[in-house]
Amino acid sequence: MFAKIYKHSAYYISLIVILILGFLLAGSNSNRSFQIGVTIATTFFYVLWGIMHHLINHDLNAKIVIEYILIGAFGLTIIFFLLSVNGNY
Amino acid sequence: MKEFLSHLFIPKESNNHRAKILHHTNLFLTIVFLLLTSFFTQKLKVSFPSVLGVKADISSEQLLLLTNQERQKEGNSALVLNEQLAQAAAQKAQDMFEYNYWAHNSPTGKTPWVFIKSSGYRYVYAGENLARGFSTPEDVIKAWMASPDHRANMMSSNYQDVGFGVKLGKLNGEETVLVVEELGNLNMPIAQNNKIQEVATASDTNVSHKNVVAVNKKPLINISSFPFNVNVLIVLLFIFAFLLDMIIVEKKKVMRFVGHNIDHILYLILILALVGVFGKGVII
Repeated sequence: MFAKIYKHSAYYISLIVILILGFLLAGSNSNRSFQIGVTIATTFFYVLWGIMHHLINHDLNAKIVIEYILIGAFGLTIIFFLLSVNGNY
Repeated sequence: MKEFLSHLFIPKESNNHRAKILHHTNLFLTIVFLLLTSFFTQKLKVSFPSVLGVKADISSEQLLLLTNQERQKEGNSALVLNEQLAQAAAQKAQDMFEYNYWAHNSPTGKTPWVFIKSSGYRYVYAGENLARGFSTPEDVIKAWMASPDHRANMMSSNYQDVGFGVKLGKLNGEETVLVVEELGNLNMPIAQNNKIQEVATASDTNVSHKNVVAVNKKPLINISSFPFNVNVLIVLLFIFAFLLDMIIVEKKKVMRFVGHNIDHILYLILILALVGVFGKGVII
């Protein structure tokens, strides 16, 4: 498992950088619209990055694309649920 | 039960070597469940505010105490609660609810200075911080102190007086508590209209006697922590499921064509961190 991670370390490091950047951008600004925009953009990059990685590995199929989209949608729904219920948007 | 949980979380032949909870159908159903829960929670909030609502316990006394504690740490003089500034802050909060806005300047063009001047406070230096969606005075002060602009406003030696407005009402149809802090100085010979910062906070019931304003509401379920806790639990459950699925499949050396679990785990960790960001109140 660790060998696999090591083999794809460049991909995982770039993904981690994107995610950390998304978090820092969202956390450093108190403007809700900006925070939501950053969250959507980060999710979009996560989906794109995942699909690109599978494409490079020649193991991309429709099910994998759907999986990334579903996880992205799940993450955004979590944030939507939080904001719609506590009303702090 | 054991069999069901095993089918849900352990990748094996019966679930096509992928934890059942991670199948597309279940991911989709979880999204639908969250959306439906959000919808019904909204309805419940409106119909039964005493059961599900904003929990807040914030008073101007506590805000003053905490503000002065922070000022004293930096060797600044303590602020004095001013009745006119408190009146201006209460009017500002009321105006935000009445005209449904969340900003320093109202849609009708009223600046914070309009409220301060109309209260009769003839300042030479004034400022404003706003907070919204917080449950305790500690959280309000902490959020203001974490923001460089709000902090500078709170810590400024240009101010000698302060007034707090704490009001429960509805913004964009959502029940929330606004905290308005108006800062001012009558004596300093400096040009007027200096800095304005706004911070909004949430709380409930409005008790007002002299300079003290407070909101104290305790519904059965706190709307601020309920969605936070639910979300944290759900995200943690999925992180656990992805992790377990990855370890077991790796151990069994099963070949399958699915997305990379590590990608999903990393993304869900980000969502978990963002829940912390979005779960807090807002300041401007």
